[in-house]
Amino acid sequence: MSNQTNSYEIPADLAYDREHHMWVQVDSASGDVFVGIDTLGLASLGDLAYVTLKDVGKSVKRGESIGTLEAAKMTGDLIAPVSGTIVARNDATVSNPGLVNQSPYVDGWMVVIKPSDWENESAQLVSGDGLPVWVESEVKRYKNQGWID
Amino acid sequence: MNWRLITDDNVSPSFGLAADDVLAQRVGMNQSQPTLRLYTYRSHCALVGRFQNIENEIRIEYCRENGIATNRRPTGGGAIIMGADQLGVALTIPGRGDDSYSHARELMGNFSEGLVRGLNQLGVEAKFRRKNDIEVNSKKLVGLGIYRAPSGGLLFHASLLVDLDIELMLRVLNTPFEKISDKEIDTVAGRITTVRRELENWIALDEVRRVIADGFAGAFDLSLLHADGFSRDELDDIAKLENEKYLTDDWVYQTTSVPDSNGSAKVKTEAGLIDVSVTMAGGTIKAAFIGGDFFAEESAVADLEASLRWHASQPEKVAATIGKIFQSRKSQFSGIQPEVMVEAVTKAVSRARVAESQMRADPYGCYVNPGGAHE
Repeated sequence: MSNQTNSYEIPADLAYDREHHMWVQVDSASGDVFVGIDTLGLASLGDLAYVTLKDVGKSVKRGESIGTLEAAKMTGDLIAPVSGTIVARNDATVSNPGLVNQSPYVDGWMVVIKPSDWENESAQLVSGDGLPVWVESEVKRYKNQGWID
Repeated sequence: MNWRLITDDNVSPSFGLAADDVLAQRVGMNQSQPTLRLYTYRSHCALVGRFQNIENEIRIEYCRENGIATNRRPTGGGAIIMGADQLGVALTIPGRGDDSYSHARELMGNFSEGLVRGLNQLGVEAKFRRKNDIEVNSKKLVGLGIYRAPSGGLLFHASLLVDLDIELMLRVLNTPFEKISDKEIDTVAGRITTVRRELENWIALDEVRRVIADGFAGAFDLSLLHADGFSRDELDDIAKLENEKYLTDDWVYQTTSVPDSNGSAKVKTEAGLIDVSVTMAGGTIKAAFIGGDFFAEESAVADLEASLRWHASQPEKVAATIGKIFQSRKSQFSGIQPEVMVEAVTKAVSRARVAESQMRADPYGCYVNPGGAHE
């Protein structure tokens, strides 16, 4: 199921970090979460040229860096939407960062995290009925700040 | 609204870069005041962009033999040399929350406005050129970059050429030139300029610094309060980050798994030969050089080259960008059709992709495009 808001594809079956535009999808079998960048976040960055990802086995805290990137508009960090341990990373995005722009929700996933505090931290993500209002306000904010046209 | 102004000189690369990085993080957390820092590095040092492979970009042995320090910026872009005649500009502001900074956050266009205003005040007709340059008559004068810290704080970085020893730059940077003679120096001088060259007069760096500070104050309608250096807490954080990051080989000599590659293509047309060279980072065009013997306005060619810098390489995206440039400047390309330009660029991209799998490509610097001068 997908939700088209202001022409940015924000799938309604995912959860999102409100500030850093990282998407989160829970694997129902393992409880691990797939993490990537949403389309609005990508629009603010432009085409990705370089990506690094932290190694599998590293512990990360919500709000900390799980990798770095250089895009057309800036360099920056990829921010963990939840705390936990990195259990997998998508090396295809490291060797071909354009994959993230081309397929942000499928082939362009970046890491899988085994969450350590999912119950509390998932409540801080936005999902479901909260998405349209959040997306609208974020589009407005990004436009005001010049990140997107 | 007030910003802090910090001016410092003769800094080491590790201190200079760690200070900018720390301020971006602290300003994002409201631990430090938004700050405009106008500073110079100890002559000379060579700085590569965030993800460049330093051994591709810089002649490391030459730097070691000549006491030229090397390091890696948190911001992207190409390799540069910095010293007493190049003004470092670092603006750090919050990236979210208080929207009183929203005007300043309007990316490069607004950041460059402070620099452009200051340069105009000196009589230098500088203009912002998307995405990352300030130019005078199509010659690059300032390179720009943005880094977003984990705290959300934004660092706008610029290097302003008050003066430049081009020969030294060509010795330090790993350029496509096989030798360094007057011809190569003239080629680079045709693509870049300096404040002193534009003014045809010597001007003190301090004077340039003063007008740049005025330019920012005017562009953002604020007061700059000249601070007596960094706070104690900031200096502690800077020292820590120098030791943990900017003084480590892990940071300076890190490599990327996205290889650089070069490709070139020539297309004959009735209006003349189009000769295109591109440097790619994986699937991204990092730099494009458009030469040949067709007649065109130099500024139109420079505009096209700038538009293709850090650009996706898919043919449809290349075609869209070239089409947009030709729409506004077609007459300045004197008979060259956009489709032919697209053909030349996409051929060069294809050859770079082939070369990527065969060999490591020649690198280039921030102020040096691949290939020779446009003729």
